[in-house]
Amino acid sequence: MSGLKPGEVNLGTSIMAVEFAHGVIIGADSRTTTGSYIANRVTDKLTEVHDTIYCCRSGSAADTQAVADIVHYYLQMYSVQNGKPTVPLAASLFQELCYQNKDNLSAGIIVGGWDKENGGSVWNVPLGGSLHRQPFAIGGSGSTYIYGYCDATYRDGMNQEECIEFVKNSLALAMSRDGSSGGVIRMAIITEKGVERIFVPGDKLPVHWEG
Amino acid sequence: MEYRVPNSLASLSGTVHKSIMEYNGGAVVAMVGKNCVAIACDKRLGVQAMTISTEFPKTFQATPKTYIGLPGLATDVQTLSEKFRFKVNMYKLKEEREIEPRTLAHLVSSTLYERRFGPWFVEPVIAGLDKENRPFICSTDLIGCINFAKDFVVSGTTSNQLYGMCESLWEPDLEPEDLFETISQSLMNAVDRDCLSGWGAQVTIITPDQVITRTLKSRQD
Repeated sequence: MSGLKPGEVNLGTSIMAVEFAHGVIIGADSRTTTGSYIANRVTDKLTEVHDTIYCCRSGSAADTQAVADIVHYYLQMYSVQNGKPTVPLAASLFQELCYQNKDNLSAGIIVGGWDKENGGSVWNVPLGGSLHRQPFAIGGSGSTYIYGYCDATYRDGMNQEECIEFVKNSLALAMSRDGSSGGVIRMAIITEKGVERIFVPGDKLPVHWEG
Repeated sequence: MEYRVPNSLASLSGTVHKSIMEYNGGAVVAMVGKNCVAIACDKRLGVQAMTISTEFPKTFQATPKTYIGLPGLATDVQTLSEKFRFKVNMYKLKEEREIEPRTLAHLVSSTLYERRFGPWFVEPVIAGLDKENRPFICSTDLIGCINFAKDFVVSGTTSNQLYGMCESLWEPDLEPEDLFETISQSLMNAVDRDCLSGWGAQVTIITPDQVITRTLKSRQD
């Protein structure tokens, strides 16, 4: 499995997606690094692949942009020919690309969205190209610091506000500890009604113990 | 740039450090003002991408009117701060006076060059007032080459960003309060573009009458 080539930028990252009754909440930090330099401190890592299907990108910026663009193209063609795609279909496309090209890609992707058949669903496509449906998923270099926090805090049946707080607090903790994550928190609420974006600037991040 | 070696040399964070100077991270800057000097540092201690502590300042008092900043490998920061404390104390006992900043600079330089072929991984910054209260700043590389500057000196993983900030914000003959603002903004905005520095900042202003150290609240990411 190859890594970044010299000159490539890295989305060292904290990303997250949580399923709730009416849809999903997805969230990400906003830092893109080239080595230790922060190349972009306001990156948007939440990328639309269809009206109510988004992906959270981590790993190589170039690889994830390329993969998301291809999936977006396929879903455009599918929707013209067959009608609205489902979230598991989009996740399957991500899986196919990430698995078949695993030697050349460095991409950790979380797919989240809403469709009529499944309601909200979250699908994790980690580095090797496997596919996992999960009630909530975390990814990126910053996620390693919040496995315990997320396992301790998550409950089934949270409502929209509780999910938003869960995502906000988890990402803030990851961004604090992980040098490769930081900036602002971008979130999106995806429901039947569409997509609502939330922006949490750096000075409004939840503050935890800071030593 | 970041690259991964495609074998098991990669550490838990998935990266191999290509430079030992970037293992712990850190930033130090010093500036000259009107009859005063300022020295500032960040407070992060990390292991590559992971932040371990936000209470690791990198400036140390050498004499009542001289400070040394030591960014670089944290173990060498600790060892050298203690070595220099010893050497400065011995100097005072033998000479029965405090060491002058320019002399301290040469002491630092010799200590580093002593280890020319197995160096200490720090790039120190010195700031102080001499016995006539004239401002003095300088920096050295990791093997002791001294850079005597009239305006500002920078060091650490954020040095490129600090050069940009200082070059734009610094002007000569700043009063202590203005120098505080200038050095603080230079440091804060520079470290916000560096993953390995930040998590708080400490700024020390040295004037003929007093030395004031302030801690700045900053982004914790």
